[in-house]
Amino acid sequence: MCKECGCNHKVPFGVKVLSWIAPGMLKPRVAESDGASTTSSPPHSIEIHTSLLAKNDDLAAANRALFSQRRILTLNLLSSPGSGKTTLLSRTVDEFGLGNRCAVVVGDLETDNDARRLHRPHVQVAQITTGTACHLDADMVARGVKALDLTDVRVLFIENVGNLVCPADFDLGETLRVVLLSATEGEDKPLKYPPIFKSADLVLLTKIDIAEVLGFDRLQALDNIRRMAPRAECIELSARSGEGMEAWYRYLESHLTSVE
Amino acid sequence: MHEIGIMESAMTFVLQHATENRARKVSRVVLRIGTLAGVEVESLRFAFDVVSRGTLAENADFEIEIVPASVFCQGCNDEFIQDTAGYIFICPTCGDLCGEIRRGRELELSRIEMN
Ligand SMILES: Nc1nc2c(ncn2[C@@H]2O[C@H](COP(=O)(O)OP(=O)(O)O)[C@@H](O)[C@H]2O)c(=O)[nH]1
Ligand SMILES: [Mg+2]
Ligand SMILES: [Zn+2]
Ligand SMILES: [Zn+2]
Ligand SMILES: [Zn+2]
Repeated sequence: MCKECGCNHKVPFGVKVLSWIAPGMLKPRVAESDGASTTSSPPHSIEIHTSLLAKNDDLAAANRALFSQRRILTLNLLSSPGSGKTTLLSRTVDEFGLGNRCAVVVGDLETDNDARRLHRPHVQVAQITTGTACHLDADMVARGVKALDLTDVRVLFIENVGNLVCPADFDLGETLRVVLLSATEGEDKPLKYPPIFKSADLVLLTKIDIAEVLGFDRLQALDNIRRMAPRAECIELSARSGEGMEAWYRYLESHLTSVE
Repeated sequence: MHEIGIMESAMTFVLQHATENRARKVSRVVLRIGTLAGVEVESLRFAFDVVSRGTLAENADFEIEIVPASVFCQGCNDEFIQDTAGYIFICPTCGDLCGEIRRGRELELSRIEMN
């Protein structure tokens, strides 16, 4: 079994030529399908075991090594557009960020609105405009981080592009993955976008200040989160009223010690 | 959503190996895709047609091996396979809700045949 994913491939990660069948040496290989490829010269079959995300994974590993060497806690924030990532980060850098130096990398399709919203003298912000790409990848983050002075930075927040589908597949080198679900979205979102919720270390139920007037069923949402991500922690909060923000800061604080 | 990008990176590998092996034609490309990989098999097929056009791999057989989800139950210290659709994993032995996915997220180029 292979160590990469436990499959039955005997070839380890990498490339290996398994069968060079010289013409005339063997009977032509019987094709498994309906014989579409019975050609006169038998085919070379190359068994490969290459993850299609391998390049991103390598770059993510390099990012992770850099963050860990500099003892920076890195959080990848993922959600639908409008779930409150920028609002949460603005408040976080103003409160938690006063005692703990923070930096932000923010990805957006075209504008730099979020970077401007987050801009403060004590916080460095790098904006990545992704153009048509609907997710951040490890290379974009590496380039964003290069633009920042990481001296004394303890926490790096990465605000991903608002999208609940493909960012799930792209490791950025983060320490922790945080998925936001706001009270303005459906309680069943976790059931509709399982991979992203499954990959979460922490799920934040945001805009909890308006949950009641919207008739948002918090218990149902929490139950769905638990079903999709039984091991993720979950915090309910509002970056507007401040409710739950203390729990979020305690979470950051406790993970800061883990990178030290 | 990003199946084209995934096929583009697969095709880069395919053509690289085809060139290294001085292939005249790529006859078959096999991917291994986990049921939890978050990609649409039909979109991948479409993407393959688009991305292979005009290359050595044009008209090659395109095959996808599906890897069912395998999940580890801590209580039973054992893995179970879930071959039905869905992302809620209940251990068939003890009934616990499990979250440790061991297989099923594969997104791999697994085999190339050429002549
Ligand atoms: N009521 C309420 N509204 C919020 C809260 N957080 C964000 N919003 C609003 O939700 C909208 C989208 O927020 P934003 O932070 O830009 O979301 P992002 O796209 O995830 O970065 C804005 O109009 C915010 O004012 C909250 O805690 N409570
Ligand atoms: Mg934003
Ligand atoms: Zn494998
Ligand atoms: Zn994408
Ligand atoms: Zn069990």
